[in-house]
Amino acid sequence: MTALPASAAAVGPGSAADAEMAARDPSTSLAVSGIDKSFGGIQALTDCSLAVRKGSITALIGPNGSGKTTLFNCITGFYEPDRGRVYVRGVPITGRRPSDIVHLGVMRTFQVTRIFRRMTVLENMIVPVRQLTLRALFTAAIKGHERDRAEALLEFVGLQDLRHEQAGSLSFGQQKLLELGAALMAEPEIVLLDEPAGGLNPVMIEKIAGYVRELNGRGVTFLIIEHNMGFVMNLCDPVIVMHRGTVIAQGSPAAVREDPIVLDAYLGD
Amino acid sequence: MKLRTVFPIVMLGLFLVLPIVVREGFYLDLLLFTFMYAAMSVGWDIMGGLAGYVSLGHVGFFGLGSYVAGLLVVHFGIPVFLSAPFVGILAGIVGAGLGWISLRARGTSFVIVTLTFTYVIQLVALNLRDITGGSSGLYLPLLTLPADVVILPFYYGMLVLLVVAILVSLAIRRSKFGLGLVAIREEEGKADGSGVNTSLYKILAFAISVSFAGVAGALHAQYLNYVDPDLAFELIITLNLIIMCLVGSRGTLWGPVLGAFLVQPLSQYLIYLTPSGIAGQVHLVALGVVLVLVVMFMPDGIITTWTSRRGGRGRARPVDAPERLPEAAT
Repeated sequence: MTALPASAAAVGPGSAADAEMAARDPSTSLAVSGIDKSFGGIQALTDCSLAVRKGSITALIGPNGSGKTTLFNCITGFYEPDRGRVYVRGVPITGRRPSDIVHLGVMRTFQVTRIFRRMTVLENMIVPVRQLTLRALFTAAIKGHERDRAEALLEFVGLQDLRHEQAGSLSFGQQKLLELGAALMAEPEIVLLDEPAGGLNPVMIEKIAGYVRELNGRGVTFLIIEHNMGFVMNLCDPVIVMHRGTVIAQGSPAAVREDPIVLDAYLGD
Repeated sequence: MKLRTVFPIVMLGLFLVLPIVVREGFYLDLLLFTFMYAAMSVGWDIMGGLAGYVSLGHVGFFGLGSYVAGLLVVHFGIPVFLSAPFVGILAGIVGAGLGWISLRARGTSFVIVTLTFTYVIQLVALNLRDITGGSSGLYLPLLTLPADVVILPFYYGMLVLLVVAILVSLAIRRSKFGLGLVAIREEEGKADGSGVNTSLYKILAFAISVSFAGVAGALHAQYLNYVDPDLAFELIITLNLIIMCLVGSRGTLWGPVLGAFLVQPLSQYLIYLTPSGIAGQVHLVALGVVLVLVVMFMPDGIITTWTSRRGGRGRARPVDAPERLPEAAT
């Protein structure tokens, strides 16, 4: 969003050229440049470009089927894009496997919460840390500063009393909190949250928003897919809108809300 | 010290001194095979229990170990007890190669590839007649030891193999590597998205897993002084490993050991009891019955079923203590 004007009006779709330029800017955390992805005859992403400013909480919204999760999968290496590039801190990461991309600083959560059910809560926290080294074959999994960090993060999301419980026995909301906490273990440059408020009660949604805001205050950048507009409008700036596999608008929450193209995408057809 | 630390050490001590008291070949032979199966089951469980990838190819590596060790002693005069560790390493390298082919993808293709591997390598052993002796097999030179002690090197060799397998399995389970394997079993996509290089982890786990089968095959070949393509690649050996792991509990350290110590003596007892003409069939039917009963009534195996019953009584579950839930706290 480096080229984003400060005006109240939402700016138009991001171009690949803008994204390439933004990728070289040190204040850009993540840049996506001209990504195409199709599955058989279905074109899920078409020339999709965007940039996420370092230190921002950027929202990614759009109607169902607009390609948001597909874009997440292309960024994190679960899909290989047909065309286009992804940069983290200016480093191209396209085509690398998901685990490598984690080590390059991109961490994600999943739309349908995924946890390691038959592990304890604490073990769930320990999984996402560092590359496999020869020493890791012979040393205990849970120890030292990693254990301290896991305990601190569990305390942060309020799960410290449950750390020795089986993760599968947690409630749905607690599993979401665990996923959020575990996503922070590897000290990522940017965290991609796929519907963090999905299926939660209002109290819990407020709680998650509070955690995101506090973590952002400590310097963590977020890119968040969310359908809960209250959550998005209160927490995120800027907001990027996708429709039919491409970015159609981006800007401040207020500007995006008034944008006729956005309204048309949500209400039209 | 806890019971589960003391008990294995006491048992190990017993097995070490047992041959001084028991001189009957039947019992030492029974224990020797039990050690062998237990060691291979512990190895199988590193892949099949921890990482959750079922291998039907372990007997392929058992046979590979048999043949490599046999050929080394026949053609180069290298004693099996010297070559066995290196045969294990070789099996691991071949396992890594097979894993590299089959484990980069997720899911069931691995099962088929491992099964195919067994038959491919059996065909190789059968058809390289000039080297392996083809279907008439390969005769290994006898160890030059008195008849009443000739079993002892094999008894202790298999015991050492079992101890090493247990120690390796224990180390893996405690390590970050083991945690990554369990993560793969529980949710492979999430594991990859958490920074676990799933392909590398699986390949490494498979290599370690099959290396024990390779060493066991090497010792087994010298024990029988003979290898042939039918004996060395019998699918029932792999199936035995799986049944032992299922009975004892997949994914636990002691499950495969317990399973081997229950299933192997049971099989041998049935073979011993039944008339020689039908012995092979009766114990196979019994194994099948055991498998069906375990899958129906105790799918988690003995150890997991037992510990979860005890855990269920003793410890408060989160559902019993709603006041501790973070949601309720706000």
